[in-house]
Amino acid sequence: MSNHTDTIAAVATPSGRGGVGIIRISGALVPEIAQSILGDCPKPRYAVHRLFKDADGNTLDDGIALYFPTPHSFTGEHVLELQGHGGQVVLDMLLKRCVELGACLAQPGEFSERAFINEKVDLAQAEAIADLIDSASEQAARSALRSLQGDFSKQINQLLHYLIELRVYVEAALDFPEEEVDFLADKAIIHRLEQIKAALKDIFAQAKQGSLLRDGMNLVIAGRPNAGKSSLLNALAGDEVAIVTDIAGTTRDTVKERINLAGMPLHIIDTAGLRDSDDVVEQIGIQRAWKAIETADLVLVLRDHSLENEHQDQYEHIAILERIPSHLPQLIVHNKIDKSGHAAGIFDSEIYLSAKQGTGIEALKTALQEQVGYQSNSESNFLARRRHIIALEATQAAVQEAETQLRIFNAGELMAEELKTAQYALGQITGRYTPDDLLGEIFSSFCIGK
Amino acid sequence: MLNAQKYAVIVIGGGHAGTEAALASARMGVRTLLLTHNIETIGQMSCNPAIGGIGKGHLVKEIDALGGVMAHAADQGGIQFRTLNARKGPAVRATRAQTDRILFKAAILKQVQAQENLELFQQSVDDLIVEGETVKGVRTQMGMDIFADAVVLTVGTFLGGKIHIGLQNHQGGRAGDMPSIALAQRLRELPFHVARLKTGTPARIDARSIDYSKLQEQPGDTPTPVFSYLGSRADHPQQISCHITYTNPQTHDIIASGLDRSPMYSGEIEGIGPRYCPSIEDKIIRFADKDRHQIFVEPEGLNSYEIYPNGISTSLPFDVQYQFIRSIEGFEKAHITRPGYAIEYDFFDPKDLKPSLETKFIQGLYFAGQINGTTGYEEAAAQGLLAGANAALKIQEKEAWCPQRSEAYLGVLVDDLITNGTLEPYRMFTSRAEYRLLLREDNADMRLTEKGYELGLVSEQRWKAFSQKREAVEKEKQRFESLCIHPNMLSKEQEVALFDKPLSRAYHLSELLRRPNITYQMLVDLEAIGTEVRNPAVAEQVEIQFKYAGYIERQLLEIEKHKRNELTELAIDIDYQQVSGLSNEVRQKLSEHKPLSIGQASRISGVTPAAISLLLVYLKKQQLQSKVRQTNLETYGL
Repeated sequence: MSNHTDTIAAVATPSGRGGVGIIRISGALVPEIAQSILGDCPKPRYAVHRLFKDADGNTLDDGIALYFPTPHSFTGEHVLELQGHGGQVVLDMLLKRCVELGACLAQPGEFSERAFINEKVDLAQAEAIADLIDSASEQAARSALRSLQGDFSKQINQLLHYLIELRVYVEAALDFPEEEVDFLADKAIIHRLEQIKAALKDIFAQAKQGSLLRDGMNLVIAGRPNAGKSSLLNALAGDEVAIVTDIAGTTRDTVKERINLAGMPLHIIDTAGLRDSDDVVEQIGIQRAWKAIETADLVLVLRDHSLENEHQDQYEHIAILERIPSHLPQLIVHNKIDKSGHAAGIFDSEIYLSAKQGTGIEALKTALQEQVGYQSNSESNFLARRRHIIALEATQAAVQEAETQLRIFNAGELMAEELKTAQYALGQITGRYTPDDLLGEIFSSFCIGK
Repeated sequence: MLNAQKYAVIVIGGGHAGTEAALASARMGVRTLLLTHNIETIGQMSCNPAIGGIGKGHLVKEIDALGGVMAHAADQGGIQFRTLNARKGPAVRATRAQTDRILFKAAILKQVQAQENLELFQQSVDDLIVEGETVKGVRTQMGMDIFADAVVLTVGTFLGGKIHIGLQNHQGGRAGDMPSIALAQRLRELPFHVARLKTGTPARIDARSIDYSKLQEQPGDTPTPVFSYLGSRADHPQQISCHITYTNPQTHDIIASGLDRSPMYSGEIEGIGPRYCPSIEDKIIRFADKDRHQIFVEPEGLNSYEIYPNGISTSLPFDVQYQFIRSIEGFEKAHITRPGYAIEYDFFDPKDLKPSLETKFIQGLYFAGQINGTTGYEEAAAQGLLAGANAALKIQEKEAWCPQRSEAYLGVLVDDLITNGTLEPYRMFTSRAEYRLLLREDNADMRLTEKGYELGLVSEQRWKAFSQKREAVEKEKQRFESLCIHPNMLSKEQEVALFDKPLSRAYHLSELLRRPNITYQMLVDLEAIGTEVRNPAVAEQVEIQFKYAGYIERQLLEIEKHKRNELTELAIDIDYQQVSGLSNEVRQKLSEHKPLSIGQASRISGVTPAAISLLLVYLKKQQLQSKVRQTNLETYGL
């Protein structure tokens, strides 16, 4: 909801670019947020050097802070800019701190929208801002969807299901007190509350392991067996993480490695070679490889350049390309130029390199930076995941309070209020759920009606 | 009453919506005519003999806070009072009165007849007089034209009413009354969207044929709750009990055997019935695993032998009704006095209404009550009051009053209806109110009486009583915020008894009252504290306001956040095709619903936050453009 009384915060620099990373905060809470993070509210329109502190007073980063009081700012509201040393993780921690202090994550295009509403940009730009909101929100929805694939989405839906079930009981108890069962006194309520807590705990545990809510982009290396995928992983990671042999099918499972590319964390996933195989273990590996590809932010399709004239290689390469979902960005990489004799570098947006000798690796890194880093205005997966974590934390806090209201105060209506808040928070991920939806659920669960 | 008479406001219909509408408009000093097809049935309770309940009781208190008649009539006619959810928090507590139909109706009629500026006339209405897009008056059955600047239509289930008992059906507005067929046809010619709904009622039984020794007694609460803020227990007639019995597997078998002749299941009925008030045949089909269903045996009145068996509404053929009723414990020898039936009727898509309940297509024409797709006396009365008040405001050339969702259940009711329409008869529940903790029965007067007084709906007497109460609450609250209990002020035993352990520091009374097991009474019972408050309603207010303080503050913040959206108006004639960036789905929804504010638009299902941003940008653009035009005009005389 676009809400101009809220204070909003966002990373203002494109994700993945090194050097300087800027967080921009706009709204009434800015002076308080400045006070908390910087220790004071800087003199208006002066660049000051400050340490950026977290809640415990530890330094998150040090950099330049700029404060523009209303109305003389980009949005027309109080604006604070924190210019730090970049790096997704540091920026994310700063952003998280702003949210703790009462800011909301800005919706796509929201800074520009506010600037326009407060007459800081002229009429001629109205259409441009509309386009920005339109395309940015669409992209945000796409990256949210990508971040919600697989197990994570399953778990969230399970959590939602439990939450609705519990609300059905609690709301029915409040709105239909004359039914034969007092739902609030029912043990089922405590049981369901425990289910929800357990589900949330699971999700957070997994998020911490980084398997679902990763701090970075997923890069999947795919290709035919023995194209040199593991060698490429090793070349990028800088040490031997994957076993490399010249026997096709050596990698039976997906191997993950985290590297840092100019401040941008990348998760590189090496997959089993994609081919038809009779080996059961290898088949499982290949299935996992395809699964990994589905969660990728970018797929590196690797080919053995010395084999590219062979019919079999061409045939299987095309088969692989056809199976990769069309919306996924991909980069074609030709390996083993030490054998084929091709020059290293970027030609026609495709990379030529030798993972074994290390030639062309720098060209690949540059291309990666461009592909991953310059996703222009789009909301990165990284941010989409941050949104989800914030929503889940709010859900958890409300569920905890709901339990207190039930166990200590025995206040069904306040428990209901907290559960509504919990579901509203979860709704940031799963979509809006109306009171009428809930009533429908109640009527189909219980025979109600005097 | 002569031909070509002229009134300011005409109200058509003498049900719960019609009487509140006519009374409200007349209270505001506007010359009002109430037209009904039968003066004898003014204030008639056509379905169950009870007023209030969860969500509904909240509406009745709001009507009362605005000077309406329903709570007063319920006090005059109530023969068993209960506070539902008494052991749950104040926000979900609600009053309900089993009501003597005759006493209730008499109280309403008395008020209507005594009301200044209000005239009654018995005559069916066949036609509306409409000129261009403005209503000018009505034409009655005998061809008489009566003119008015505003018309409130509250015709309940009478429009195109059709009654079903088994596979037989006939036209009717309610058992024993004729439907308004001519008016229904006329309204179908106007540009409103019409659809059908269905509702049902159980057979009535002669109390003398019931074996009460087999039934479970359910007495009213003591002390007896009172409905009206101005009422007292002295208003109540004699109090009696209700009873409870249950259906059994044999009952269910009999019902199942008659389903082939049920109009619901044979497809005779096209209207949609309410999910929360299913017929007994619905219950046994949808919840086949339940081997019994509760029946509340509600007396129809002190001088009536009829009872209303609440929970077994049905449209099965009479022979099946007869058999299944006699299979129920205590009903073995039951004599049915009136058969149960289902009724289908026309309703108008409430999305065609403004928040004032004026129609979007015809100026000066207001709809209230079941015609808007609601069910229930309370929902109807609340709308009637609002429509009547807004009709009067229109006559007085004042801005309409449209209570917000954060102010009243009345606001929730109207906003739900006009924003998303309804697919079944709409009933109020507390879960529909996002600000449930603010919208309580106990503070309906605190929320609305001042506004009511400002509009002219509230009498001097009520205003004075309310002002005194409000002042007393404020005073006592201030005392609780300033007065402390210091350690050693009480004995150690007293401290432990009250607070589990001795006090380690001084606490304000307001802090102590927020603790789970501390009540207002416990604190003022302490000799050192005491109180001058004698009115229990004042004590209750102080207690609730402190106990709920944290949540109240939170909800007030929420309201503040949404206020700007609620106040940003959208014109009815916006061409949503011209708004850049909207998806086709959102365009279609907005064009169809024609929301009147950004807040309302945001509650339409399928309208995304991004779409709301785009609308705001569009509005700003329009505003800037007109500013540019204005400047050009001033600078260049263009």
